[in-house]
Amino acid sequence: MPSEPTLGGLLHSQGVSRRAFLKFCSTTASLMALPAGIAPAMAEALASARRPSVIWLSFQECTGCTEALTRSHAPTIENLLFNFVSLDYHHTLQAAAGDAAERALEEAMHANKGKYLVLVDGSIPLMEYCSTVAGHSNKESLEHVCADAAAVINIGTCSAYGGIPMAKPNPTNAVATGDIIKDKPIVNVPGCPPMPLAITGVIAQYLTMGKLPELDHLGRPVAFFGENIHDRCYRRPFYDRGEFAETFDDEGARKGWCLYKLGCKAPIAYNACAHVKWNNGVSFPIQSGHGCIGCSEPRFWDMGGVYDSVAKGNFGDGAKLGAAAIAGAAAGASAAYLARRKKTEIAEGAHGDE
Amino acid sequence: MSTAATQANPSQTPVFPSFAEVYQGLAGQIGMLREMAPAPTKSDEQRLKGAVDTLIEETNADEAVWLESCIHCGQCTNACHYFQATGEAKYAPMRKMDLYRRVYQREISPMRWWHRLVSKPVKLSDFEEASELIYDSCSECGRCTMVCPMGIDTASLVHHMRSAMVAAELVPPELAALRMEQKNMGTVFGSSPDALKKMVDTIREQAGVEIPLDKDKADVMVLSSAVDLVANGNGLLATAKIMNHLGVDWTIRSDGFESANFGLLSGDMSLWKHQVDPIIEAAQKVGAKTLVIAECGHAYPALRWNPMLSSGELPFEMMYMSEFLGKQAKAGKLRLTPFDGKVTFHDPCKTGRRGGAFDEPRAVLAAMDADLVEMPANKEYNWCCGGGAGIFLLEDATRLRDESFKIKIREVNDTGAESVVVSCASCRLNFESGRQKNNWDKQVHSLVELVADHLIDDETATKGQARGAAA
Amino acid sequence: MSLLEFARGPAIHAALIIMVAGFALRLLGVLVLTRGADMSRPRDAFGNFKGYRTVFSRAWPAGEFTTTTRYQTVVAYVFHIALLLVIVGIVPHIEFIQSLTGLSWPAMPNFLGVALGTIALASLFALIFRRLAKPAIYNSTVGDYVAWVVVALPLLTGLMAFAHVGLRYETMLALHILSSALLFAYMPFSKLMHAFWFIFSRAQSGLAYAHKGVRI
Repeated sequence: MPSEPTLGGLLHSQGVSRRAFLKFCSTTASLMALPAGIAPAMAEALASARRPSVIWLSFQECTGCTEALTRSHAPTIENLLFNFVSLDYHHTLQAAAGDAAERALEEAMHANKGKYLVLVDGSIPLMEYCSTVAGHSNKESLEHVCADAAAVINIGTCSAYGGIPMAKPNPTNAVATGDIIKDKPIVNVPGCPPMPLAITGVIAQYLTMGKLPELDHLGRPVAFFGENIHDRCYRRPFYDRGEFAETFDDEGARKGWCLYKLGCKAPIAYNACAHVKWNNGVSFPIQSGHGCIGCSEPRFWDMGGVYDSVAKGNFGDGAKLGAAAIAGAAAGASAAYLARRKKTEIAEGAHGDE
Repeated sequence: MSTAATQANPSQTPVFPSFAEVYQGLAGQIGMLREMAPAPTKSDEQRLKGAVDTLIEETNADEAVWLESCIHCGQCTNACHYFQATGEAKYAPMRKMDLYRRVYQREISPMRWWHRLVSKPVKLSDFEEASELIYDSCSECGRCTMVCPMGIDTASLVHHMRSAMVAAELVPPELAALRMEQKNMGTVFGSSPDALKKMVDTIREQAGVEIPLDKDKADVMVLSSAVDLVANGNGLLATAKIMNHLGVDWTIRSDGFESANFGLLSGDMSLWKHQVDPIIEAAQKVGAKTLVIAECGHAYPALRWNPMLSSGELPFEMMYMSEFLGKQAKAGKLRLTPFDGKVTFHDPCKTGRRGGAFDEPRAVLAAMDADLVEMPANKEYNWCCGGGAGIFLLEDATRLRDESFKIKIREVNDTGAESVVVSCASCRLNFESGRQKNNWDKQVHSLVELVADHLIDDETATKGQARGAAA
Repeated sequence: MSLLEFARGPAIHAALIIMVAGFALRLLGVLVLTRGADMSRPRDAFGNFKGYRTVFSRAWPAGEFTTTTRYQTVVAYVFHIALLLVIVGIVPHIEFIQSLTGLSWPAMPNFLGVALGTIALASLFALIFRRLAKPAIYNSTVGDYVAWVVVALPLLTGLMAFAHVGLRYETMLALHILSSALLFAYMPFSKLMHAFWFIFSRAQSGLAYAHKGVRI
């Protein structure tokens, strides 16, 4: 085995200029709300950082998160950074299979005990044997691997909050990583898929500062998930003016008006999509004409239809209201009837007295 | 009072005392009522149950809606003379239904199970405390209904409360005494059939005016009232003069002559009915086509607007004295000498806002070419004089009555009229009281007496038999 | 379940059920009571019918009371109109109503919604200040103040949510929906029922007075 290369060496060998690397560092620093002056120090620290061991566990997932990270249309520093880490175990990406793969996992855990990072994508089914790897249920694997981990980073909404497997009716009784692992620091990088920069940013900060980023009340890095998409959306002025697309092919849609009425969940979604954008800043869902589905939020799949606006009541139709009206009317009429009977009784009693 | 009237007919010396003297005499009598008031006869539990049961019995959907509707917007305070005169929160009209509402909520409302959990049970002392609101400070004039954005008929709710107060034996002593007198003896201030006969005789002997008492058949049956029979003979005298002058076939019946109804005023529905029945019977017996109610405000709702009486099926029409006079004037049958000077007309609550007889009294004034100046608030919006619905009789209400009358003084003064015409004995007594207490320089006329004084004499000679009989 | 999910789901659902059942309960519980009959002869044969005019004519105080009622009437009108327009005029509300009833209509521009909401809230404050300043006139009960708070809260939280002021939007939205749920559930059991009663109350008095030939 060659001596462990540094990230700087790796980037250099891939032809990434120092200027480009500094740019990445300052972008990351600014996104993570670190002081601007920290970029060179960050570059220095990153350039000399040693490869950390990373174990990637995939449970009930669709591999979309991995795809998002690896299928960028051009090689980026983000995925180069990913190449830099020692990805010791990853179903999709590793060459080994079967016993060899499992052995690699055990070796990595043993060699980096207490220092390795666990990246999880996919939710964990509590229902037995819904998902197993090498004869172990996902829950067993997770508990086993996390026991000696330095920290857990949930990649994607499924591992962070349960995601789509947990959506009603949740047939596998799926839960999030945090529901099982209670004694390790956990960072959620939700999204379906999450923004690559958010993943690398967390790792970069961990590598350079030796600590995990500041998190919001949902365990997400504030740096990436602190802002409301609606607040940062370039279509916001249309919302404020009350100009809405009513359908996906009407005049409003063509004019790029607000997609609120078409079910855009941006007002209740927190992510960096609107300002960082995807694919090297090319676009993001709203820009391409579809409302935000709020994928970085817990239980986004169950929060009303994708095309139902935020304001809609999330309780089906009004049939129960009809029943309530009938029940209320019946109760009211009986109350009045009983009152009438009381009146009659008093009248009869009074006349009896006379 | 009405000195001008007596001068207009110099051939006669006044037979009866002036109204100022009438007022003073009556005030003395009223003072004695308190001692005559009956003591409660039932146990406190029975009285409370009776009050609550009465409210349950009298509460229909209309009352329930009104009780439910109040939003405490405070508008009614603008309309109530007792509140305006004192500015005291407790006299706000909306407060006058609070106890009724509590009973309604606990006993009848669809939410009664809830209200029984959260509201205090109603006690007899609650009714005792409410007495001031139910009697002393509400003349059931209905002015608050005119401003209420919900249109709540507070007066009718107060009236139901009065019924409950009867059952609770909490009627103020003056009204209780008169109620018992009317209930037990059929008289008010001793106005018995004998008193009627005596008054008829007095009028015939001293004023030379014939009153056809107890005729078997007559077109017009006229009622009298206690005030006229025991104190103000001028009232009956004027009525007789006018009837005879008009030449109508009329009578007064000793088996049904009393306009005053202390069943209505106290809230005793059975006495109300009991008092009305003989009048209706008598009117049917004589084959009357018209029943004329004396100038006694509350008698109008007691008879004409009696909700228990299917008056549409009766063979005769009931009308208030002012209505009768007005119809005669409109028909040109009542020709009157001109009235000099500016005059204003005070609509009694019971015949005006709560009776609808607005045009007729004005037609009478028009018939005497009077220079009628309306008060700033008139007709439906007329300010109550403060003495209606029996309040004139209540000693405890003296301050409220006197203070609220100042509004009336202001209203009348605003017109610049020298005299004010009223058509209700209660109003007139209260005006007289206010006039004397405030040294007010206005003259107060009764419509019927004014008309009698302005009859054009030479025409009367050519008119029908009644006049002839009188001569 | 997040606060917003709770608000948009069970809370508003339960509130609407309570509201609808409550409206029916209280309306029928009162209107099905016995009907009193005034058997006396009406002043004119068709006069009673004219009483229904009061339902409309009482929409504005008579000239006699103009001066004394001006403040209350004008402010109350401003409040009711602004509130009504906000309720039926802004997009999120129309979306909500549509999800409930399937009905939809064009919305007003949002700035107008904010302006009207602010006006409604301001007029509500104008009303409570007067109520507090003139205790003798208003005879306020606890219910009056509770009703005020319950009406003011959705306006306040709605404006804050819309302007993204205060807590996070989804929290403000949740609070807005929860406060509206409170309003819905509270309505049938409070003086806010006057939204229905005024019709009956005015008509009854109008009829009773028209019976006697009096126009009120």
